[in-house]
Amino acid sequence: MTDFGTLPDWAALGPALALISTAFAVFIVDMIRPDEPWSELLAGVSLTGSLAALGLSLWYFIAGTGQADWGGAIRLFEGTLIVDGMSLFFATIVSSVLVLVVLASYDYFSGHTHEAEVYSLMLLAATGMVMVGMANSFVIAFIAFELASLPSYALVASLKRNRGSVEAGLKYFLIGALSSAILAYGISLVYVATGSLQFDAVTAAISEDVGGIFALGIVMILAGFGFKIAAVPFHFWAPEAYEGAPGPVSAFLSSASKAAGFVLIFRVFIDVFPYEAVSNTVDWVMAFQAIAIVTMTIANFAALRQEKVKRMLAYSSIGHAGYVLIAVAALTGDASGSFVLGSGMAHLMVYAFMNTGAFLFIALTEHWGVGRHIEDFNGLGTQAPFAASAMTLFLFSLAGLPIGGGFLSKLYLLLASVRANVALLGVALVVNSVVSVFYYTRVVKAMWVEEPSEDLEIESQPVGLYAALALAAVMTFLLLPGFGAVVEFANTAAELVTP
Amino acid sequence: MVDVFNFVEAIALVPLASFVLVLLLGDRMPKKGAISGIAATGFSLAISLWVVLDLAMGGEVYHEELFTFVAGDDVGVELMFGLLIDPLAALMLTIVSLIAFLVHLFSLGYMNDEGEIGLRRYYASLSLFTFSMLAFVYSNNLLMAFMFFELVGLCSFLLIGFWFRDDGPPSAAKKAFLVTRFGDYFFLVGVVAVLGTFGTAAFAGEHSFIIEATHVLDPSHSGEMNTFFGLGEQAWITVIALLVLGGVVGKSAQFPLHTWLPDAMEGPTPVSALIHAATMVAAGVYLVMRMYGFYALSPTALSIIALIGGFTAFFAATMALVKQELKQVLAYSTVSQYGYMMLALGGGGYVGAVFHLTTHAIFKALLFLGAGAVIIAMHHNENMWDMGGLKSRMPVTYWTFLFGSLALAGIFPFAGFWSKDEVLLETLQHGLSGEPILLVGYGFGAAAVVLTALYTFRMVFLTFHGDPRTETAEDPEPIGWNMKFPLVVLGVLSAVAGVINLGAIKEFIGEDALFLKKWLEGKTLDGELGSLSAKEYHHILESDYAAGYEVTEISPLGPGALALVLALIGLGGAVALYRGSEPTPHMTKLGRVRTLLMNNYYLDEFQVWLATGLTAPLARAANKFDQSGIDGVVNGTGSVSMFTGQRFRKIQTGIVTNYAALLTMGLVLLLLVFALMGGWF
Repeated sequence: MTDFGTLPDWAALGPALALISTAFAVFIVDMIRPDEPWSELLAGVSLTGSLAALGLSLWYFIAGTGQADWGGAIRLFEGTLIVDGMSLFFATIVSSVLVLVVLASYDYFSGHTHEAEVYSLMLLAATGMVMVGMANSFVIAFIAFELASLPSYALVASLKRNRGSVEAGLKYFLIGALSSAILAYGISLVYVATGSLQFDAVTAAISEDVGGIFALGIVMILAGFGFKIAAVPFHFWAPEAYEGAPGPVSAFLSSASKAAGFVLIFRVFIDVFPYEAVSNTVDWVMAFQAIAIVTMTIANFAALRQEKVKRMLAYSSIGHAGYVLIAVAALTGDASGSFVLGSGMAHLMVYAFMNTGAFLFIALTEHWGVGRHIEDFNGLGTQAPFAASAMTLFLFSLAGLPIGGGFLSKLYLLLASVRANVALLGVALVVNSVVSVFYYTRVVKAMWVEEPSEDLEIESQPVGLYAALALAAVMTFLLLPGFGAVVEFANTAAELVTP
Repeated sequence: MVDVFNFVEAIALVPLASFVLVLLLGDRMPKKGAISGIAATGFSLAISLWVVLDLAMGGEVYHEELFTFVAGDDVGVELMFGLLIDPLAALMLTIVSLIAFLVHLFSLGYMNDEGEIGLRRYYASLSLFTFSMLAFVYSNNLLMAFMFFELVGLCSFLLIGFWFRDDGPPSAAKKAFLVTRFGDYFFLVGVVAVLGTFGTAAFAGEHSFIIEATHVLDPSHSGEMNTFFGLGEQAWITVIALLVLGGVVGKSAQFPLHTWLPDAMEGPTPVSALIHAATMVAAGVYLVMRMYGFYALSPTALSIIALIGGFTAFFAATMALVKQELKQVLAYSTVSQYGYMMLALGGGGYVGAVFHLTTHAIFKALLFLGAGAVIIAMHHNENMWDMGGLKSRMPVTYWTFLFGSLALAGIFPFAGFWSKDEVLLETLQHGLSGEPILLVGYGFGAAAVVLTALYTFRMVFLTFHGDPRTETAEDPEPIGWNMKFPLVVLGVLSAVAGVINLGAIKEFIGEDALFLKKWLEGKTLDGELGSLSAKEYHHILESDYAAGYEVTEISPLGPGALALVLALIGLGGAVALYRGSEPTPHMTKLGRVRTLLMNNYYLDEFQVWLATGLTAPLARAANKFDQSGIDGVVNGTGSVSMFTGQRFRKIQTGIVTNYAALLTMGLVLLLLVFALMGGWF
């Protein structure tokens, strides 16, 4: 802790710097032998880079950089970037997911013609996501968002010969462009009303009587963020993109990209548009309540009827966005803000592992060439008991059964909604969790109970994918006993943001 | 000196390691895992003794939180694992590990030498049993205690049903499990109630629920608790205390949940020794001791405990009178003796209860192991009318068994005399100060003394004296050193263990010679025991805001002499009735009373009727409602959900222009709603 005091302030950007320099390192490695990619080296460099980012974020976070007892947030470039507990917490989430996804990509993209591009695009997107968490101005936020989004579009379409992948990439791009336009429009309206883009300055400029233009801007910004976290009704891209994308990319987008969307929602709506100041014109807590309930319900009910596992998981991840939205929807002032927000952040942390794990299992089945439908999973439990056990753990944890951290994080979200006296949110959470048990169990049943079809034969056990699955499974499980520590960290980080 | 508290966790963890080891490798281990179990329990015993020594030399009470599941100001409850080793726990750890050690040793002779199969399962369960009980004993909070309490129940299920290929054992195991589970439901509700009321379930520490409850009631302190159902604070404390008592009544086999214990005799005899003396049954009573400060707050709960205890002591003794099987007599005597402990706890005699628990553990383990030796000698025939004359053929067993019997009957100067006297004395002292219910309990207890001596010596005479009545009894099978050694150790202890608290003659030897009392009051310690000491409990008991007991000072000599005279009457009765080479079955003269007693007052039948005659029809009705009513609704919901799901799925058309349109419409809708609500225009 003390030795860190000698590091310059810009070193606080360490996680982002590590990621972006690794992205360039991957390009350079690729230049050595552009025609036949050197899989081990590419994956090794990427993994080292993402581990470095993870290590830095964790170290800074535990050392207390930018947190209350450190002397508050570190502000850089005239306050346009900010490093505090919240940004480091999310940097940890993003880089953890990246580590898992890179591990899995080693097997998945091995022999792919544009292997190096896949890695560097992932690293660039991750840089964007980490920067989103550090943004303290609408311009930076927008740029970081685009830095995260543009590589994502390309990643979704990275299987160039696969029509589904290309189609999904295109759709994702089109809807993404529309949403970016809405976001940019919203930002410009806020600028018109306040004359500033920097977060603190915007807050300072909010007067007693905020006008319609300003309010219009807020709602459009909300819609732009809604796209990023795939909340209903801005979610249409998500099932298509997650289904069409290669498995590891779906894992990456549904976990890390979502987290990046949430960090900005937390920061902007709690800090920049304080509820007390704007509630007369824009009651955003109520807006989030409505969105949260609609998102949970529509996503979970739609997942009920899906035949393809990956698409079902896509809906489940939309549903989880609805759960996390409780963290803002329950900020009614009745409950302690840091508790509510911290519960949402902790759920995102747990979700990062269990959801990534579940999608990586799908990546593994794609690698094996097992079909996409639930019936195709029949009997996987006997053929690949380890992987199927890990998947069972992920699914049950996603459902909120007390086998992984998902149980406690949902419990805390429920507590948060009860404390905040928004019973409807709690009811929606419980009802939808019950619904979700049904469709998760269908997969588990297929894997363990059903007889395998005769031609099902699994021979390979890819090292990287298995390692990633094992890591995700261990973390998901450990977050059950270790949840107390995570939620404590999350609460501390949230305290700095909440009023 | 090395600080022993650095590795107190190992007291329970080493048996756990032995469990894992035996489970995995048992078949390949020497003696099928017995050695590992003996080593583990021996280790636990050594560390426990060291802990006792350390505490006696002035060591501090050890209290540490090891692991927290859930905590934080926002959550409102605190769930954790932790260790609490105070004099009570240290004493109990020693007893449990001593008995477990000797039982393991005895099993070498009882199980291995007899060529039983499935020994890996046997020794693994035995180690797990020891682990669960030891961990239960040093739990520092009610939730952890509950977990291990349940684990103890599970292990007894496994061991009672050890010979699962016969008819009897599996059914007895199920019965033990279900009956104790019935009590445990109340316990579980009690745990939740404690957490809901106080936010913590810790036994010790500044914010333990016991202290918090005391502060709430004590006018000179202030404390906080939530009450429910509009009950007053003391009434709610009573409710909680009674809920937890449900688990105690089940585990410690008190009326009316005692029925499982005699059936549990179907298990191997060393297991019976362990269950009766130190683990399963002792767990219930120990729980009351552990939270005695809490029970002391509620006079109602104490009266109920005393009444249940006194009644059980007497009631079980009557049934023991007519049993023909050796282990059945012992089983009912256990029920009866735990009744004494409950009587003492209810009557404000904390020290007496602990004392009786200690001596009972020793002599009851001895009697069961002695019975085990007899059973081996008799080729598993347990009927006492088929025995006789074993005295000269198995002298070691006879003499040790006799010592155990003298202790059980409460004959001076054996251990049981001192502890039973302490129980009765303390109850009487509190009862004479205007607590008629305690006097009723005392009456039951005193009457049971006569019966105890009677059935004990009936058992001794029928088994060992007179002429052999069968050929097996003529020529019993010899037993090995591994069975004799535990008998001798326990026999010696049964004779002398009373020394730790010679309450009846304290006028001659002085207060200072009452070691157990000093131990529990923490006088030998430098560190203050605070809320956990016997002194504090008495203080609470005598406070007006709590139980409000008063002590009538009477000389302990009188009641002591009375107890001895009563025991001698019973002994004399047994001598008169069953002496001689050919004793006659006098109990048959009781006629219909005997039939009633043999059938255990038809309580088993009553419980079966409760299950089949009352619960089953109710369950059928509920099932019908569930099938038609609830399931109809559930299925309906399911169909509606599926239909809705189908509709929601249809929103996703796959056409990107539709998505763009829907997205924009969603935004416009949001904007319109806000514009209208916020009055932008």
